[in-house]
Amino acid sequence: MTVVLDGSVVRLQGLCRVEDAEPLAALLQSGEAATIELSDCEAMHGAVAQVILAFAPVLTGTPAVFFLRNLLLPTLAAERQLRRLKLK
Amino acid sequence: MTTTVLIVDDSKLARIVIGKAVSSLQPGWTRVEAGNADEAITVIDARPVDVVILDYNMPGRDGIALAEELRARFPAMPIALATANVQDEIVARARSADVTFVVKPVTEEGIRGFVSGAALRLRLPQP
Amino acid sequence: MAQFLVEGRELVAEAGRELSVLAQRPEDAVALDGCFRAIHTLKGSTGLFDLQPMGLMLHAAEDLLSAMREGQPAATGGFEALLDVVDQVDRWLDTLERDGALPSGAASVGRAAERRLRDLTSDPASPGRKPDAPGWHIPPEFAGLVGTAIRYTPRADCYFSGDDPLAIIAATPGLTALRLSPREAWGPLDHYDPFACNLVIEAVSTADRATVEAAFRFVADQVEFVELTNLDPAAPDGTAARRTLRVDAARVDRLADLADDLVIAKGGLAELAAQAETLPGGHALGQALRGRQAQLDRLVGDLHATVGRVRLVPLSPLFARFPRLARDIARSLGKSVTLEIEGGEIEVDKTVVDGLFDPLLHVLRNALDHGIEPAELRRAAGKPDAGNIRLTARASAGHVVIEVADDGAGIDIGHIREVAVTRGILGREAADALDDAAAIELIFTPGFSTASTVSEVSGRGVGMDVVRSAAARLGGRVTVESLAGQGATARFVLPLAMVLTRIMVVACGSERYGLALDAVVQTTRVTSDDIIPIRDGRAFQLRDQALPLVSLGGLVGTGEEARASRRVIVAKVRGELVGFSVDAIVERMDAVVRPMNGLLSGAPGVTGTTLLSDGTVLMILDLAELVA
Repeated sequence: MTVVLDGSVVRLQGLCRVEDAEPLAALLQSGEAATIELSDCEAMHGAVAQVILAFAPVLTGTPAVFFLRNLLLPTLAAERQLRRLKLK
Repeated sequence: MTTTVLIVDDSKLARIVIGKAVSSLQPGWTRVEAGNADEAITVIDARPVDVVILDYNMPGRDGIALAEELRARFPAMPIALATANVQDEIVARARSADVTFVVKPVTEEGIRGFVSGAALRLRLPQP
Repeated sequence: MAQFLVEGRELVAEAGRELSVLAQRPEDAVALDGCFRAIHTLKGSTGLFDLQPMGLMLHAAEDLLSAMREGQPAATGGFEALLDVVDQVDRWLDTLERDGALPSGAASVGRAAERRLRDLTSDPASPGRKPDAPGWHIPPEFAGLVGTAIRYTPRADCYFSGDDPLAIIAATPGLTALRLSPREAWGPLDHYDPFACNLVIEAVSTADRATVEAAFRFVADQVEFVELTNLDPAAPDGTAARRTLRVDAARVDRLADLADDLVIAKGGLAELAAQAETLPGGHALGQALRGRQAQLDRLVGDLHATVGRVRLVPLSPLFARFPRLARDIARSLGKSVTLEIEGGEIEVDKTVVDGLFDPLLHVLRNALDHGIEPAELRRAAGKPDAGNIRLTARASAGHVVIEVADDGAGIDIGHIREVAVTRGILGREAADALDDAAAIELIFTPGFSTASTVSEVSGRGVGMDVVRSAAARLGGRVTVESLAGQGATARFVLPLAMVLTRIMVVACGSERYGLALDAVVQTTRVTSDDIIPIRDGRAFQLRDQALPLVSLGGLVGTGEEARASRRVIVAKVRGELVGFSVDAIVERMDAVVRPMNGLLSGAPGVTGTTLLSDGTVLMILDLAELVA
C-alpha cells in the first residue's frame, strides 16, 4: 500500500507505481483529500506526479531521495503556484 | 474473463524465468508458451491471447519480425520484446511497432512496468 | 521587460565601446573580456523573454568572442560583424520599447547574422561545432545553466507500454534542473484520465551529450536536446550550474535556533488546550486548539527538518581539492597515479564535509605511499605503470559511504601481525589466532604504523587511529578492506545529516559529563547557607520555591561537591524541578550524541556518548533516570 489516506492527508509511501495514480486521482477528485504528504516517498511514477500536477494539492513533507527532494518537488511546487493563480 | 499471456522463447529456462516474474506480478494471468515464432502463431490461432512477451533472438523468424506481424493483426495488444542487446535500429523498429523493451535476463522489477501497463490497457474497453 | 530594456541599452553601449577598442587593438584582452561579458549577459536576458532571434544571434556572437578568447586570431571582418550585431540589438530594443515585440522579419535577420558569425567562428582545429538552435523555448528557470537541455514529451499512451517517464529522467546522470508541465491544458478534472500521459519534462544535465542521449535511447523519438553553452566567465568549469544563494552560516544557525525555540514555544499550546477543555463550555475550544496545535506541530516539524537540510552541501568542493594533492604526493614519491572521483554531487551536512579533509588526505597518502607499488613492481605484476585511486561517494539509507580504493599491493597482513607483536600490542599466539579482517583492524590501534621505513609523506606519529576517531567524531565509522595484490579500500560510513544535540558539559571531581541542554531549566549558584536539610535529603530556596538538591557527583560516584559555594543546575525531572550540584560548568556545545553500545549499553542514566575533540569520550547523562 503506497497511497494511504490519513484524515484528509494522503501519504505517499515507498515506491509509488503507475497503479497508484488512479486511487490518488479519485481521492483528490472527490475532495476526500487535499494534502499530500511526501516524507516517506521513495520513488514516484510519472503518472502519479501527473496527478499531483493536475490537481495541485497542498504538498507537505520532504522526501529523502535527492531526485524527489531537489528536482521533482521544486517543479511540482512551482507548477502548483502557477495553477492556483490560473484557477482563481 | 482471465488474461492470457503468451511467452515466446526458444529457451525453456528463459520461459520459466519470465513466467515466474509475470506470475509474481499478476498471479491471476494464465500462461501459455511457445518455443519459436511459428509455434506462437499456432497458439494464437488456437486460443485468445491478450499479452505477448517475446524473445528477440530465436531460430527462424526473430522476435521483432513476429512482433510486427502480431501488431498488424492486433493493433492494441501489449507486446514486449525481451533482449540483451539493443541496437538503435532494433529500438527504432520496435518503437514503430509499439513494442515495449524488456531487458534480459528478465526480472520482476524489469518487467513490472510492462506488466502494469498491459494490465491497465486490458481494463479499457477493447476496440 | 522594462528592466531588460534599461539593462539592454547599457550592455549594448558597453559592448560597442569595447568593440571599438578592439578594432584598434585586436590583442586587448581586457576589452575582449568586457565585450564577451556584455554579450553573454545580454544573451542570458533574452532567454527570459521570447526573443529567440536575438538570442540566436547573440549566442553566435558569444561563440565567436569565446573562440577569440581562446586564442583564435580575429577573423577578417569579425569585429565589423560583431558591431553589426550590437547595432541590430540596439535597433530591436527600440522596436521592443515601442511595440513590445520584435519586428516581423526578426527571425530571418537573426538567422542571417547568426550564419555570418558562425562562418567567422569555424576554427580549423574544432570544425564540428554546429549551430545548436533550440527547437523549443528553453524555460526561463534554466537561464544561466550549463549542459544539455532535454525536452522529453512522452507519448500519451506511454504508461500502457510500461514507460515511466520520471524514472527515465531520474536515471539521467548529472541532472541540475527539472521542470514538469502539462503538454495540453488539463480540461475539466472530473474527467481526469490518470493513465493518459500529459506531461512535458524539461531538464538540464551536466553529463556529456552521449551519456545523456544514451539515457533516452528507448524514447529517442520523443526527446530533443540542446546544448546550453552559457559559459559564465566567472565560473569557467561550470560550477555555476547550481542555483544557489550564499548565506552566512551564522544566520543559518540562528534560523536553526529559532526553529528550536518554536518547538519549545508551541509546547505550551497542549497545556492551554487541556486547560480550556476543563472550563465550563470550553470543550469545543479545547478541541479546536488541539486541532490547531497538531497542524502547528506538523509545520514546525517540517520547518525544523528543512532548516536542517539547509546545512547540506555537496561533496564536490572537498573532492576537488584532492586531484592536485594526489599528483603532488605521487610526484614526491616518484610514482604516478590517476585519481578518479565520483559522487561529488552527494550532499552531506557541512560539519561532515568540513571534518573529512584531514582523514581523507591521510588515507589518500597511505594509499599512495604504502598501497601503490613502484612502477617496476607494478609492471612485474602485470599492472599499468600508473596507479589508480578511486575516491567515490554514494548515498545509502541515510548514510554516505565514501571510499578511497587503490589498485596497489594490498595490505601485507603477515607484516601487520609481525609489527603488532614487536610493538607489544599483542602476543605471538594472539596475533596468529586473528583472522585477516581482525588483523587489519590492528592498524587502527593507537601508535601503530606499518611502514618499516617511515617515509616523509606518511609522517610519524599520526596513524589510522586518528582517522578512526575523526570518523567517530562525525558520528560514523571507518573500515579497511584489502585483497592481496589487488589493492586496499578505506571505507567511511557517515551520517548524511548530523543530528546535533546541544549539551552542557559539567565537571564532577576530575570527571566531565554532558547533560542534554533541553532538560536544563536554569543554572544558579548556591552557598552552604542556602541549603536546608530535610529528612534524608537537602533542599534549597529558588525564588519562592524550595527545590530538592541532589549531588550529581554523589549520583555518579565521583564524590560529593566539597566547596562551600556550588554550581547548581536546575532541571525538570518528571514535571518537578530538581537542583543538581556540580563542581563546575565547563561549556555548552553542539555534539553528535551516539547511542550507547557494547559494554556500556546497559548503564542506567547514560543516554549516549560523544567524542570530544581531544579524543576523550564524554558520557551524556539522563538526569531523570539518575534520580529514579
